[in-house]
Amino acid sequence: MGGVGELLITLGVVLGLFVVWQLWWTSVEATAQAQQVMQEFEATLPPANPEPAELRTDDPPVPEPVGYGETIGTLIVPAWYGLTNNAMPIAEGTGMDVLDRAMAGHYETSQQVGDVGNFALAGHRRTHGNSFRHVDTLEKGDQIIVETATTWYVYEVTDHEIVTPDQVDVVAPVPHHPDEKPTERLLTLTTCHSLTLGEYGNDHRWITYATFVGWMDRADGTPEQVR
Amino acid sequence: MYAWIFRHLPGNVFWRVLQSLVLVAAVVAALFLWVFPALAPYLTLLEGDPAVG
Repeated sequence: MGGVGELLITLGVVLGLFVVWQLWWTSVEATAQAQQVMQEFEATLPPANPEPAELRTDDPPVPEPVGYGETIGTLIVPAWYGLTNNAMPIAEGTGMDVLDRAMAGHYETSQQVGDVGNFALAGHRRTHGNSFRHVDTLEKGDQIIVETATTWYVYEVTDHEIVTPDQVDVVAPVPHHPDEKPTERLLTLTTCHSLTLGEYGNDHRWITYATFVGWMDRADGTPEQVR
Repeated sequence: MYAWIFRHLPGNVFWRVLQSLVLVAAVVAALFLWVFPALAPYLTLLEGDPAVG
């Protein structure tokens, strides 16, 4: 009898430990890995000119595609300063091996940053660095900034929606219209969401849309919202 | 079970408590480093694949 009781108590403790592991330890590991990727990426770049500069609105340069798992640049969401790991690396691909390292993953089927179409990114909501945990705090007009080796790209949030996980059309060049030819430069964030558990659940996806407002050469300056 | 293990540890009470703590730490480390990462893909209530498709 005592043995059964001990077994049940042990099971309860192990389940509790699993929650601690998932909500806390995965982020400790992932954040360290993301910081290492950031340091390696930044070490390859000349320092950005810290002076504020005017955003350019002519056609931005579009980077060449990179291989799976390689770093594309950095994602900075100024509204998340102090709340989460800003800035996080953006890597090619949306496999768990990429996303579990607290990076934003670029959908390989979507367009490149700055290009006409959709630059679509996935990231974890909770666990593994909580990359996009505070996606629900973003409001219309909030900036989403992508830094590559040469260029800053500035987007502004336009809208969000909550969809079921099978809605792949949200990352189409024209979201929800996969057969239409794109005319705008968009950025889309996708992350987990639950109708009942909020940020702790996985049954839906939170989709945030942003549209391109301008760009800047890293040699010319830094967007004023970047700290 | 736990009482049996505790009785069979060598030394006085102080040493046995210390050894118990080391054993608990070893079990937790094994869970965090190997067991939970292996189970995570099957327990996706909290978090799974955040991508669509």
